Amino acid sequence: MIERRQVIPGDVIAKGNYRYGSYIEKRGEEYVALRVGLAEVGRDGIKLNPLTGPYLPRADDEVIGKVVDVNGFGWVVDINSCFDGFLPASFVFGREFSPSTHDLSSKFKVGDIIGTRIESFERSRDPQLSIRGQGYGKIDSGEIVKISPTKVPRLIGKRGAIINLISERTGAEVKVGQNGVVVVSGTPEGITKAVKAIRTVEEEAHAADLTTKVEGVLGGE
Amino acid sequence: MSMKNYVVETIRKAQMVQLLAAGKRLDERALDQPRELKVETGVIPKANGSARVTLGNTEVIAGVKVATGIPFPDTPDKGILMVNGEILPMSSPYAEAGPPSPEAIELARVVDRGVRESKMIALEDLSLIPGKTVISVFCDFNVMNVDGNLFDAVSYAVVAALKTAKMKKFKVKDDKVEVTEEVVPVPVKKTPVSVTFARIGERLVVDPSAEEEASMDMRITITTEDGGNVCATQKGEASTITPTQVLEAADIAIRVGKDIRARILEATK
Repeated sequence: MIERRQVIPGDVIAKGNYRYGSYIEKRGEEYVALRVGLAEVGRDGIKLNPLTGPYLPRADDEVIGKVVDVNGFGWVVDINSCFDGFLPASFVFGREFSPSTHDLSSKFKVGDIIGTRIESFERSRDPQLSIRGQGYGKIDSGEIVKISPTKVPRLIGKRGAIINLISERTGAEVKVGQNGVVVVSGTPEGITKAVKAIRTVEEEAHAADLTTKVEGVLGGE
Repeated sequence: MSMKNYVVETIRKAQMVQLLAAGKRLDERALDQPRELKVETGVIPKANGSARVTLGNTEVIAGVKVATGIPFPDTPDKGILMVNGEILPMSSPYAEAGPPSPEAIELARVVDRGVRESKMIALEDLSLIPGKTVISVFCDFNVMNVDGNLFDAVSYAVVAALKTAKMKKFKVKDDKVEVTEEVVPVPVKKTPVSVTFARIGERLVVDPSAEEEASMDMRITITTEDGGNVCATQKGEASTITPTQVLEAADIAIRVGKDIRARILEATK
């Protein structure tokens, strides 16, 4: 069991030589926390999971976004972040895309929910999105649930343990974006149950026995 | 504020329309059920009167300032009433700093009209020296958080602030206005209550949430006074409304307004 410890900005998480992730700064020998969160020191490095915070885009993240604007060259997508994503039309129509022959609204309209991948992001420009690959594109039905982006890893669980548990028990399909947007589709009863389970994960994200708690909400079968 | 930037997800709107057809709403309210209303008065110690109102997650603070002023030439023997306000940039991701947007101006004018046309403030009692000096009542509001239906939230805050407003008594002596130490209430006679409806598809819903506002075809605000008389209305957005629906809305506004008036009266006792 990996030890988790609560830290506040300025706390020294560990000393020595480790690999370290985001929200951690190395000062000499010391690894200092930059956010309020839970720090993990494992064999393969140290990690800090912040308790709150916005979604910060990272290349190759799978996110679920909402189209908020269509212009001549692509779609502006709200990805539940402080940055708006941009999906260029040439990524959708291919290299032969020309603004005069292709109708962008025929593909995605304002208000549509789309599953996308962050193609690239650096801070000087808005994140670029792509729908190349399987499983991306417009999502036609389902209920949208928003959770804190910092709790997404808990909702997925180890190798998808929790998300698979919810899907199996409710028969609902649960799509999770790294940005904290979740789309649940299935039967109305399945959706209600799955949404309740997702809310439980969000509220109890810090608990060690999360799987048991989620099983409790879903009920035996 | 321009909530025009707020886009409701297509699948969410479809769900909303489907529920409305069955007489239900996304937040499980009845069609004619407003969100929970909280009225708190006396929140600004230095103002003549003040109130904080929360309607669901929408939050508004209003304050009243009483002073003397020169009357308008067309009403030399009547006091001055002014309702103004702004939507703070922190209240919503879609609100911007700077000069008030058309939406913010409409908001202040609709609330002002409700207070004025209900004859809530006895303006004729606010005259000191006709044509020269009258008492002016300024009511300013600030929207702290936007979650739909600012019209009603602001209206309740302004009404509650005015109802609890107190002022130093003014005295006229030798054609000069003097301020006495005696504290008297601002002459308030009525309690106007506005009820705002959004029409989504064919259905009218009371107290629309931000989501419902972003999906509505038409909006209508109906203000009623104590006797249940309609004293002010305002229609917004591009779509139309049938005469039958106007009458239906008026009936609901009177019925729902009665409960809300009781709440405001209780909070401003």
